[in-house]
Amino acid sequence: MQFVRFAVLGLVILTVIYWTISVYSRSVRREKLEEWWAELDAEGRAETDRETYVQEGMAEYDKGIRPKLILLVYVIPIIAVSALVYVIN
Amino acid sequence: MRNVRRIFRILLFVIAGLYLHYTLPHQDVARVTGVSDRLERLSAIQRIFYNQVDMGSEEGDMRDLRLINTERVKTYLFGLVRGGKGVMVYRNEDTGVYPPYFKFDSSDLEAEAASLIGKEDQWVVVTHYGWRIRWMSIYPNAVAIRPVEGPEYRPFPWFNLFFFAFLIVAFFMARAMWRQFVERTVDPAVESFEDSYDMRKSRLQKWLDSWRGR
Repeated sequence: MQFVRFAVLGLVILTVIYWTISVYSRSVRREKLEEWWAELDAEGRAETDRETYVQEGMAEYDKGIRPKLILLVYVIPIIAVSALVYVIN
Repeated sequence: MRNVRRIFRILLFVIAGLYLHYTLPHQDVARVTGVSDRLERLSAIQRIFYNQVDMGSEEGDMRDLRLINTERVKTYLFGLVRGGKGVMVYRNEDTGVYPPYFKFDSSDLEAEAASLIGKEDQWVVVTHYGWRIRWMSIYPNAVAIRPVEGPEYRPFPWFNLFFFAFLIVAFFMARAMWRQFVERTVDPAVESFEDSYDMRKSRLQKWLDSWRGR
């Protein structure tokens, strides 16, 4: 019973962490895209408007490896706990 | 007000520090001199420090308390300064999932400790957490025992090193996330609220003005 409670609570906490990190990561990327667009615009090389540029960039981000790396938030603690159980006992 | 906040902050730090000092693993160089079991009825204060009966067993009114008697090298200042030798008694209890040592093998540890009794020059590192509080009969909980060459051996707290490194990284990460959240979400929301409030006011004003002419 103790383990079930621990596992459930752990998963809830990890989900909160996962969610906040992915929101943060997306926010940072969006900010960067906006800055890049502003740079392009200042040089007069902006091909699309700001909204499309940011949207395309975010679509690319979603396809990239970074959102998948955030899943390590789940993987690493599970491996760490398993390793700890093995080493201690 | 400022002093109140400062005191509150210091208090918070002290509590967090004590909690970590209690919960994080420490390593003592010691020699096992005996193991003992005794039947105990824990008081309410002791219950705070003691853990639980063996995993899978039912908690009752009384229970066995496993102890490991040792002679150990005394250390001060988080193990930096070493003193002479003194006795130390460790309790040997399952931890379960909290504190997260996931120790279920108290009986095995007792057998290991028992096998070391009488070996005068077999020194071991006892990994443990907790405090020895003599006037309440509180013992640190031994988690693992591993043999070392002699009493001069100096264990290195690798786990604690990584733990604090992780803690610092997590702190800066959380701070960066909070700042990003304030910059990108809270501030614009506040601004747009202020803007819309201004607009609404002026619209209301316009409407009021529209009546004025009639």
